[in-house]
Amino acid sequence: MAQPTMTPEALERFLSSVEPGRRASVTAFRAITGGYSRLSVVADVRWDHGGTERLVLRGDPPPGDGVFVSDRDAEWLMLGALSRAGSIPVARPRWYDATGEFFGTKCIVFDHVAGRSLQDVLRGAEDATAPGRMFVDTIAQVHGTPLDALGAAAEQPSSWDDYVDGVLDVYRAVDREVADSSPVLRYASAVLVRHRPPPVPFTLVHGDCQPSNVLVTESGEHVVIDWEFARIGDPREDLGYYTQIPMQPNVYHHDPQAFLARYRERTGLTEEQVNPGTVEYFLVIGMAHLLAQILRALDAVSRGSTRGVLATYLVNAVTHQYGLYLGICRRVAA
Amino acid sequence: MISRPTTEQVLLDCCRVLEDDVLPGVTDETTQVRLVMLGKVLRNAAIRAAHEVAWMREETAAIEGYARAVAATVGPDGLRTAQDALAAGPHASLHLADVVEVYVRASDLLSLALEAALADGRDELVREGEALLSARLAHEDEVVGGWDAAGR
Repeated sequence: MAQPTMTPEALERFLSSVEPGRRASVTAFRAITGGYSRLSVVADVRWDHGGTERLVLRGDPPPGDGVFVSDRDAEWLMLGALSRAGSIPVARPRWYDATGEFFGTKCIVFDHVAGRSLQDVLRGAEDATAPGRMFVDTIAQVHGTPLDALGAAAEQPSSWDDYVDGVLDVYRAVDREVADSSPVLRYASAVLVRHRPPPVPFTLVHGDCQPSNVLVTESGEHVVIDWEFARIGDPREDLGYYTQIPMQPNVYHHDPQAFLARYRERTGLTEEQVNPGTVEYFLVIGMAHLLAQILRALDAVSRGSTRGVLATYLVNAVTHQYGLYLGICRRVAA
Repeated sequence: MISRPTTEQVLLDCCRVLEDDVLPGVTDETTQVRLVMLGKVLRNAAIRAAHEVAWMREETAAIEGYARAVAATVGPDGLRTAQDALAAGPHASLHLADVVEVYVRASDLLSLALEAALADGRDELVREGEALLSARLAHEDEVVGGWDAAGR
């Protein structure tokens, strides 16, 4: 595929193709910063028969650039399924350049959602109790999505034990694959496979579960965005993943017991299934694929490729994760 | 060769230029975030340049001793290949690529030794292996100085 050409002109050509009965003029077009994976743009569009719209474009970075890899086809399918299911509010997916014909990269076009990220709301709140609860409830809502509503958008693992073992094996596999060696990953994999927590039913897992991916509208409604890593898995992966998010305030770390009590109340899971110990176990599970992608990107750099500054910057994240993993291993095995 | 300023000092000076002279003049948000990341990467590299050879050599020596202790306790079979590979590494050279090569072989040996200790239920050896991992992470922590997810 060619280099991404996510430009106003490309958007106008694309809209002419998907809406052949009318013409659109792009009146504003600006990149959205802050994401670590996809190229995102917000665009204002005026239609020739009247009316304006604000849209969001989300495309892949140039091939071989960046760190995180995800499948736009899968994301488009997932968004369509979630949008139809209506179980969790998502930004309405409108159109998809599935071949990159118009944007030089696969690109999903969404309705723009006017609002602030829940992380911003939390940061600015004198009392973060209500937005904190909104976050917990939103996670529970994601996990309450009926799996049959997802259709072909996500594959259900065959068994819980195989699923957890398979994820732990991701660490062993990436350690074999890359030129560097990571004893912490090998050790974590070996320890955690011996100390599996009690299983819970599979659910939809967001995969990048954090308040930055929840938009809050002026009317107080919420919309969950960034579904590129969504999958069917263990719901505690999202909880564990969130615990390692460094942006403050972190609702979980503010009061883990209150966070988990509310989550259990919303999901019906038991304290044996959802507690600080199981959550930190699933930090390691929930981070596996993303950490493996970071390590592959660093390996590419070590072999002479360039992945942009994000790859080498994320060495910091890897070190942070290793420290967390070692502490978790000690507690799990104690 | 010119040894002073050291590599660490050169890189830290680059950081100062980047952060004090270049960054304030940049208005594009995406570029600002990239420059902040670049500054952090340069700082990391400065600390690594100052210490990494010594740290890797120290850790390698400790791992060799640990692997011998594990092999003596649980049996040498699972470790012999990795021990031989480490012994055959370019130990005499202080060129960074050679030190790294030896360190990677030592790291593989540490993984195997720790797994063997764990599988055999040798708690004391597991704790010793964990201590080596802690020492490794302490060095890595010194390099990175924390994680804050710039731009997010």
